[in-house]
Amino acid sequence: MKLKLLIDKNRDEEILIYAHEKTALVETIEQLVLQDNFELIGYADKEAVRLNLSEICSFTVEDNKVFAATLKERYKLKYRLWQLEEKLPESFVKINQSCIANIRMIDRFDTSISGSLLVKFKNGSTDYVSRRQLKTVKERLGL
Amino acid sequence: MNKYVKEFLHRGLIFGGFGPVILGIIYWILSVRIADFEIGGFDIFLGIASTYLLAFVHAGVSVFNQIEHWSLPKSTLLHFLTLFVAYSLCYIGNTWIPFDPKVIAVFFAIFVAVYFVVWITVYISVKSTSKKFNAKIK
Repeated sequence: MKLKLLIDKNRDEEILIYAHEKTALVETIEQLVLQDNFELIGYADKEAVRLNLSEICSFTVEDNKVFAATLKERYKLKYRLWQLEEKLPESFVKINQSCIANIRMIDRFDTSISGSLLVKFKNGSTDYVSRRQLKTVKERLGL
Repeated sequence: MNKYVKEFLHRGLIFGGFGPVILGIIYWILSVRIADFEIGGFDIFLGIASTYLLAFVHAGVSVFNQIEHWSLPKSTLLHFLTLFVAYSLCYIGNTWIPFDPKVIAVFFAIFVAVYFVVWITVYISVKSTSKKFNAKIK
């Protein structure tokens, strides 16, 4: 892929990508741009931390509070889940009414004995794909 | 309130209404097939109330499998037992089967067989989906 950088202080800043398909590189650039535009602050032990989207495994709702889980930590957020859903890049997908998953942080999909489709994240946590969200998840995975 | 209890109630309330609908279809089929099919008002009420509760439990009990700190055998056993108790009470309460140990034993055997067939069918289908998904994320 060719790279062209144009420095022009008289124009609005924008990044335009021409690609044959959405590759990992395109997704990485997309995440970087979104990260730059979308400041996500998490709170742990009254300490505010700027979160990097690529390090987040999932966003979950518990007792009406939204949490972001990374590989090691869990942070409370001041966003609602629907607000995050609108702002997050396509590598994030809502898997049930109370969880948005980062596809890149999914370790594997598994089957529960009840027939639910389980999602095992790289941080060891587990959630499930609801029947309602199954179609969306399929589409996001390109199936 | 525990989040799993909340989820049980939520799922149960959403799907509870399907019980009476299915019962209605069964009554309708019976009325078409049996010329002198008759049913009293109390029996209709009992049927509607119990099938609503049955569907409520059936939908809610699926949350057992999302309780991470429960082991697989524990959640399976509790899932099975809860459904069996709910179905047995519903069938006996509506006198769809008599309260007779032999009949209940046959009912149990049929229940186990149907539970297994449904379980294996759903499991294979979801297993296939998870394989496809895993192939995409690797």
